[in-house]
Amino acid sequence: MDYVLLLASAFGAISLYLVMPRGRESLVKLGSLIGILTLGASGIYLFRWAVENALPAGSGNPGVFFYIFGAIALVSAVAVISHPRPIYSALYFVLLTLSTAGLFLMLQAEFIAVVLVIIYAGAILVTYVFVIMLASPAGAAPAADYDRISADPLVAILVSFTFLGTIIQAIFYGDAETNPNPFFNTNATTPPPASYGDMQHLGLSLYSQYAVPLELAGVLLTISLIGTVIIARKNEPAVHMLGSGDVPSE
Amino acid sequence: MQPFDSPVLYNYLALGAALFAIGLVGFLARRNMIIMFLSTEVMFQGIAINLIAFSRYHLNADGQSFVIFLLTIAAAEASLALGLVVMLFRRRQTLNVDAWSDMQG
Repeated sequence: MDYVLLLASAFGAISLYLVMPRGRESLVKLGSLIGILTLGASGIYLFRWAVENALPAGSGNPGVFFYIFGAIALVSAVAVISHPRPIYSALYFVLLTLSTAGLFLMLQAEFIAVVLVIIYAGAILVTYVFVIMLASPAGAAPAADYDRISADPLVAILVSFTFLGTIIQAIFYGDAETNPNPFFNTNATTPPPASYGDMQHLGLSLYSQYAVPLELAGVLLTISLIGTVIIARKNEPAVHMLGSGDVPSE
Repeated sequence: MQPFDSPVLYNYLALGAALFAIGLVGFLARRNMIIMFLSTEVMFQGIAINLIAFSRYHLNADGQSFVIFLLTIAAAEASLALGLVVMLFRRRQTLNVDAWSDMQG
């Protein structure tokens, strides 16, 4: 048993610590170099591990597009959380959404992939971009201080990557014989039913097994719609929204 | 359709866990309110990859149904949270969450 993946997540933590904005540019290139090397190495290791540990009946190859989309997703996620300009963070999040949709296509979840692009990249991200443009501080200086300097990245990275190491330990290095995990008990090598992944399969599940939660989701959307309208309109008259009145200054 | 056995599943789970960890770093370390909510969306993406991979592995549609609900929650959360962000920005003209550190329960 080797601990390559835990080592890789440690290197990922170091590179993320170097990439996080701290007001100076010099370490970002070093951090992204370490990060890309770590990403490539762990990708190759994961590929070899999957091929070696495959069941005899199935090929353990996730396909080359998994690694391409996964690398794009991880790189753009790091760019989302580390870019000093919020509008670029939102645009990198679109890239993350598209690569996640590609992964869903590889998992035969075509409807979810399309819905993800429509809702996330089409609706939610448009809202984010509008809010970023509405709520940007006046003057459009290079970037605000709280964007250029992140607060306590060391503590955050320690917490998060300890969490990641725990998950990787549980996934890859668990003792499957003495402590079998019921999540992983399946006959996955049987060929899936022909209807898997199409809308009929999903719709039958949604409207028979999850009918009540689906109605509750509709109620939740209505409540959040009303709540958003109330939050957005009640505090000040409309003159202040245009910035021409006596805006309460800081 | 390709067979999908547990080593392939573990690859997807590792990717989802890494996305979740990156989003957690962003939520804890950034001080811009909008970026903090974008980081929660990154965490949502990691969870969605986990759910869809388990759905493909077990060959039933439960994971995909959960992703539908997750998208619903994400949409509701985005609209409410961004409304709050705009309101808070109008009060103090900054997006820094430390500007609100006097708001103690």
